[in-house]
Amino acid sequence: MSTIDSAPSVEDERARRTLVAARAQRERDRRLRYRDLTLSIAAPIVLVLLWEVSARMLIIDPRFFPAPTRILAAGIDMVRSGELWAHTAPTLVRLLLGGGLGAIAGIVMGLLMGSSRALNATLGPLFSALYPLPKIAIFPILLMIFGPTELPKIIAVFITTFFVMQIASVSGVWAIDRKLLEAGTAYGATGFDRFRFVVLPGAMPFVFSGLKTATGTAVVVVTAVEFTGASETGLGYLIWNSWQLFIPEKLYVGLLVIGIIGAVLTALLSRSEKLLLPWRRG
Amino acid sequence: MHPVDHATVVAEDVSKVFFSGGEPVWALEDFSLTVEPGSFTCIVGPSGCGKSTFLRILGGLEERTVGEVTMRGADHPVPAAFVFQEHGVFPWMTVQDNVSFGLRMTGTGARERREIAQDWLRRVRLEAFADSYPHQLSGGMRQRVAIARAFATGSPVLLMDEPLGALDAQTRMLMQEELIALWEAERKTVLMVTHDIDEAIILSDRVIVMSGRPGTVREDLAVPFERPRSFDIERSPEFGELRSRIWNLLREDVRAAEETS
Repeated sequence: MSTIDSAPSVEDERARRTLVAARAQRERDRRLRYRDLTLSIAAPIVLVLLWEVSARMLIIDPRFFPAPTRILAAGIDMVRSGELWAHTAPTLVRLLLGGGLGAIAGIVMGLLMGSSRALNATLGPLFSALYPLPKIAIFPILLMIFGPTELPKIIAVFITTFFVMQIASVSGVWAIDRKLLEAGTAYGATGFDRFRFVVLPGAMPFVFSGLKTATGTAVVVVTAVEFTGASETGLGYLIWNSWQLFIPEKLYVGLLVIGIIGAVLTALLSRSEKLLLPWRRG
Repeated sequence: MHPVDHATVVAEDVSKVFFSGGEPVWALEDFSLTVEPGSFTCIVGPSGCGKSTFLRILGGLEERTVGEVTMRGADHPVPAAFVFQEHGVFPWMTVQDNVSFGLRMTGTGARERREIAQDWLRRVRLEAFADSYPHQLSGGMRQRVAIARAFATGSPVLLMDEPLGALDAQTRMLMQEELIALWEAERKTVLMVTHDIDEAIILSDRVIVMSGRPGTVREDLAVPFERPRSFDIERSPEFGELRSRIWNLLREDVRAAEETS
């Protein structure tokens, strides 16, 4: 502390200067944040503009890369004629029904295997052996069994999400801090109470990251399944068929919609994770 | 105060042997201890002497190989409430839900649970954080939650496994003061494991000094200071004597433990 008699005014002046410097620092940080935000929004816009201009000036081949405005126009036509929805609806049904049921079954199975040593010993090696098998390779078998109906497509998506979620949920249970399991034991949590208050919430972070992975994989599988001759509906079929008929605009519309579906589902999951797991850091 | 609440913890010839590779390792050998009802007992010993193992056996978290453990007079639904070193509170529960967890498991009604939890939150000065999650609290506050959770069960026996071990030195001293005050108001039977000799003397009525592995009782010392206690006892000559006596008992084993690990 200063011992000079006129200290108050000197100290006031010094404090004022420090505050000015601190404000300038905060202002700089804020400017940098705005700059980052602007850059991240501007980059895709610039890219699309560049694409538009290059396509129109024939710098890139518009047969392969039709101008974004033409893709948009094709999209609007397809919405008007109902063609787009006719392909989007079946894909959504396959994705949500197969994926939803597969996720529920996978989570239940994973949590049970994580909690029961005997069940894990019985099924663990089996699932580990089946997991690396590309699920799409099973599709012909499903077709053989169920015929070219909706069922094999839904089952293909179901199996995909089931395996991802089963593995994520088992890992989630195993990743629970031993101390917390012991705290459950020490305070008398047994049976269903232990599951509800300790195991289930403890495994949730892994379950959610599994759901995001599963969404991505399920979108790939549903598209792949629709590529095959076994389907005459769906966005995958739209993309494949547009290639065969060489209508690149429609191909890009299909691509765009499937991309949006994936992005929306992932965003919904992130959102519900924040709502359902308020105790997570960050 | 509540004589019915008080329980005696008795351990007779408890041994714990586990296998490391093919070799049997004796974590505890014929360890016997009787803890008087309503007393505060600390166990100190070198790392790996089995003091935590013993506490965990009492708390039902680990199996003993042979021996008898009884908690006389503890017909409470939670025979012994455990306080862990850290990360023992559930991150997915609010502070209040954590504190009332033991009560919930024993089927206490929601209203009574909330009242008891709020009372304990007030006593550990966390009433403003009832709806916060543990990650929003400091380390010291989290341990206060853990301690409140143990007291709130109403269990006559508290088992504390280095409850202040992960805190910084100054927070730790504050928490020791608070723990003294809480305990002196409640007089539960407490058995606490600690590394800290000063902490053992300040908090307890009795210090059990354990030998290195396999753990046995090396010395059983009474702590002569009156209650209610404060940190002033640290300045008394008796405190210094007791502390150097305990350290002399431990020194060789601590060195041995240090060199083998």
